[in-house]
Amino acid sequence: MVNLTIDGRPASVPEGTTIVLAAATAGIALTTNVGCMGQGVCGACRALVRRTGEPEVRTALACETPVEDGMQVSFLDRVAPRRPHAYSETDLVDGWTAYERVLAVFPEAVRCRHCSGCDRACPKGLEVQKGVNLAASGDIAGAAAVFDLCVMCNLCVAACPEHIAPNHLGLFARRLAAAGTQRPADLIRRLHEITSGAMTIDADACTDKQP
Amino acid sequence: MNPTEIPAAGIPWSEAIAALDGGSAPPPAITDAQPLLRHWHPDHSAGGPRRLAVGASAGQDCPAALADLLQADALIDDIDIAGCATVSTEVLVIGGGGAGCIAALTAAEAGAKVLLTTKLGLGDSNTVMAEGGIQCAVGAEDSLQTHFEDTLRGGQMAGDRALVAALVGDGPASVRWLIERGMTFDMEEGQGPSGRLRRKRAGGTRVPRILSFRDVTGLEMMRVLREAAGLHPRITVWNRSPVVELLSDETGGCVGAVIYSLHLHRFVLIRARSVVMATGGAGRLHLNGFPTSNHLGATADGLVLAYRMGARLREPDSFQYHPTGIAWPPALRGQLISEAARSLGATLVNGHGHRFVDELSPRDVVAAAILRECGEGRGVLRDGCVGVLLDTPALERARPGILKTTLVTLCHLAHKAGIDPAREPVPVYPTLHYQNGGIAIGTDGGTEVPGLYCAGEVSGGIHGRNRLMGNALLELVGFGRRAGAAAAAFQPVRPSGRANLGHVQEWRRALVAAGLPLDVKAPVLFPPIAGFDLAADRALGRSDLSARSLEAALQVL
Amino acid sequence: MAPEMTTNLVLTAPEHRVGADLDAWLSGSGGLGLRLALETPSGLISLMEAAGLRGLGGAGFPTFRKWAAAAAEPDPEKVVVCNGNEDEPGTFKDVFLLRETPHQVIEGALIAGLAIRARRVVLYVNPHARGAFDAVAKAVAQWQEHPLLAAVGAAVGGPLRLEAMRSPGLYIGGEETAVVSAVEGGFPFPRRKPPFPAASGVGGHPTVINNVETLATVSHIVRHGAAWYRGLGRNGAAGTKLFSLSGDVQRPGLYELPMGTPLSELIFVHGGGMLLGKEFKAVFTGGPSNTLLTRDELDVPMDFESVRARGSRLGTGAMIVVSEGTSIVRKVAEYVNFFAAGSCGQCPPCKTGSYQLAHLLQRIDTGLATRADLDAVEHLCDLLPGSGRCGLIDGAVTVVASSLQRFRSEYEGQLAGG
Repeated sequence: MVNLTIDGRPASVPEGTTIVLAAATAGIALTTNVGCMGQGVCGACRALVRRTGEPEVRTALACETPVEDGMQVSFLDRVAPRRPHAYSETDLVDGWTAYERVLAVFPEAVRCRHCSGCDRACPKGLEVQKGVNLAASGDIAGAAAVFDLCVMCNLCVAACPEHIAPNHLGLFARRLAAAGTQRPADLIRRLHEITSGAMTIDADACTDKQP
Repeated sequence: MNPTEIPAAGIPWSEAIAALDGGSAPPPAITDAQPLLRHWHPDHSAGGPRRLAVGASAGQDCPAALADLLQADALIDDIDIAGCATVSTEVLVIGGGGAGCIAALTAAEAGAKVLLTTKLGLGDSNTVMAEGGIQCAVGAEDSLQTHFEDTLRGGQMAGDRALVAALVGDGPASVRWLIERGMTFDMEEGQGPSGRLRRKRAGGTRVPRILSFRDVTGLEMMRVLREAAGLHPRITVWNRSPVVELLSDETGGCVGAVIYSLHLHRFVLIRARSVVMATGGAGRLHLNGFPTSNHLGATADGLVLAYRMGARLREPDSFQYHPTGIAWPPALRGQLISEAARSLGATLVNGHGHRFVDELSPRDVVAAAILRECGEGRGVLRDGCVGVLLDTPALERARPGILKTTLVTLCHLAHKAGIDPAREPVPVYPTLHYQNGGIAIGTDGGTEVPGLYCAGEVSGGIHGRNRLMGNALLELVGFGRRAGAAAAAFQPVRPSGRANLGHVQEWRRALVAAGLPLDVKAPVLFPPIAGFDLAADRALGRSDLSARSLEAALQVL
Repeated sequence: MAPEMTTNLVLTAPEHRVGADLDAWLSGSGGLGLRLALETPSGLISLMEAAGLRGLGGAGFPTFRKWAAAAAEPDPEKVVVCNGNEDEPGTFKDVFLLRETPHQVIEGALIAGLAIRARRVVLYVNPHARGAFDAVAKAVAQWQEHPLLAAVGAAVGGPLRLEAMRSPGLYIGGEETAVVSAVEGGFPFPRRKPPFPAASGVGGHPTVINNVETLATVSHIVRHGAAWYRGLGRNGAAGTKLFSLSGDVQRPGLYELPMGTPLSELIFVHGGGMLLGKEFKAVFTGGPSNTLLTRDELDVPMDFESVRARGSRLGTGAMIVVSEGTSIVRKVAEYVNFFAAGSCGQCPPCKTGSYQLAHLLQRIDTGLATRADLDAVEHLCDLLPGSGRCGLIDGAVTVVASSLQRFRSEYEGQLAGG
């Protein structure tokens, strides 16, 4: 059995158990800071983790971190950006003004102090600071790519001393890149076939027999 | 067949690995899947289904555990909501997954004031976990008709033709809608953003039709939707606010809901012109003892409440057991391995190293075949966990690099399991994945209860008795938009009528008349593992909270 | 105010308060200490040791040790930085000294430069401290042409650069290694120690960083001797200390008192007692990061050793007094918010951990928290210390943990259902 402490409660669980499952056995109500239970994709189970013999305290997603003996874990609530970086869908479509939009919606982005706190905080190991700097210098596509696998856990929001909300900036870059540039030819042709009436569905035509 | 009854007989891991030669012969063809399904699919498990005795779908079968909840008493009485805080909105959306966010966005874009309540956090849902992709007939060799027929046949011809036609016909416009909101789709290799979309083939389909973003399509979709809903000025979001009951007017129409605020430890009444139910599925009920790939919140809350209010159900006995949940280690059992792996060519082999089913058959057929292999002793045993093998090393040999570049999530899961998928096969076993049926809806998402709309997994009729890969994401976009638009446009007959628990009284009379127990309460809100006790949590509510601090607190939910 | 209480004014004596006017400063007793130091620069370090001068910015580290360590380095380009970043809540002593007596401070810094043979002396001043930077800049300008500065330069083996610079004005910018980062022109990121600045500081050169109040004291010690300085204190402590008294007292303000003066005397005699006659509850001491003092500690002599013996620290000498009726939880939540906002960002556990503490405290304060939330607070107090490069997170934890230790019932009474 592996013994650890989670939010002040002792837990004793078999090896291989994740922190989230260990929390459940420790009598911690799993009603918040929890979600996908292991896929590591909903970003809800942010935690600070200190391992035995390590001075460092690291951030992690509890549902994909296996327990270790002597581990100390504190769950972290979701920290919302200090202010919403608000924009609307109409802000997304014009690629020529994308950079202006980035600077207007995320004015804090140019104030990055290069502390790398966001990089250290990211449980997915993304190069968050690089993404912020790319967006702030106008490389929207480059920034978008950095945040490909971001799960929006908001740990970088909490970590950023300049309130840049890096993941939301990254998502804005992603949305700008997609909405502003993606125009698939096959989709456009199919939409035309449908609106022109050339392609329809005969709902009665289908029988159980495979064609 | 109940998995707990499956004999723990099988082929030891080491023997099975030794038998794996990668050059296995093609699997036997299945001409008629019905016998296989009847004997091995969990929907047909012996002694499992129970006939519903009360409600709009009395006489229909469904799994016993679900029937208990569908025929349960309400969590609250009038006395529980006496004097509790009340807020008003135009459209109430219950559920913060993909369908809920899209319904909220569509209603808000139509001008309605929207309140979205969600049990966990906005976006913490099954949508975000979807890996494979979204079906949309964009291929030159493809057509809406082909997609329509594949979907209907995949669902064993049980789907509602009008709903399936709506689903399929919305496809291309739905994908455009997503791109306009900033969702990225993979393009064919070497193609720029105005080239052709990359397409994968789903089990049970004739042509490649799955559009995706890597193997994190749901994540890409959900983070865009969450941001859009969160930033929309006419949408208010309440997290940590599970719905415990609906509110009815004197005509039986739905005019709001009661939520329980986990933040305030108290109930809050929400009056609304119309309600969109988007609470998702039921995987966390672990029907028939199966592991699940679902999110913690998937406990059939909305299904139970809508049924209690008079909505009809469709195919409530039909659930999808995704063929490839990871089977080992125990801590990860049930976590999903996307169909994308099989779509790209990975094969399934039993403990003798033999393929036993066409891996791209519909999911119900593949799952039943795996259960047959395990049930007849050809499964693979590892630390007491039974399963069959997904031959990822053979896939990697055939298409070097494919695991790392395209199956990121599979690699991530395998890594957590301590498996190198390029060198070792991954043990898999069916996992409870999706509720095929649900609340009966029309093409506008409307139910038989005036003012109550449904979208996403909670609704039924689209997928028949088996859903195809990629049709869940497609459904939640198309029907999320339909339900949101209809809910925004809905005008009640008597706009300022009462809003109370009148329908609950009717329901109790029916339960008593049918001789059903009144000590079972539903919805359950959280599965047992969450360790949540509503009564104990309510006891924490402070009576001295002023109305103002309550209002202030509601703002930060 | 009783007359004996005004007799010991050293730093705040009215005759020193001449502002940036160098001639006025030198026409009084100003400059005498520096001239004496120029005669026997080699004795300065042992003089400070004999006087028992300690860092008055909060740490209480013996000044002579820093000087001696830097003096022992062979590097000719040593630096003295006068740390005037003062940004702790409730502390307003350095701003007074810099604005009212900038030459007293500069003279002390130049003596420090003599002691370690520095070629550069930097006055590092918080730009948000009203009037301080302007006074210092003006004062520094007047020194540039003065023969005394040239004499110091000659004594240290080359010209001496004396300059005023604005600190970033952030709380974190007062931390010793953060000062080094800022003087180098960067963001005030704290660094891991060792190396200590006295060995490798600004630009890699040995650097002595002393607080404003510490340096202001130096010229007086040179002039009057170690025995005189030691005799200023009470209860065996040396010198005087500036106390920034604020909160629920009748007469808040800056008081220069003998080191070792009891806390009760500061509050009830000099401070005129509690506002509206309310009951005393607690003192948040010495900047924000120390253990609370409660009624049991009212008799504590305010010097480094005595306060430490009671489990707290004297710190900057700020005493924020709160009365019964003040919510300790809310007050502590405010402090933790201050830390969370001030955390520089380099160390995620510091930033995210302090936010989480603040969030939990706010929940307790608003009556929505449960026992599990309080457990989570205590667990963070266990987990977080030592997780940052500097002591910021440790300070935040100290405030929370000490308030929990002394006012647990108040926390528990705020719990939902409690």
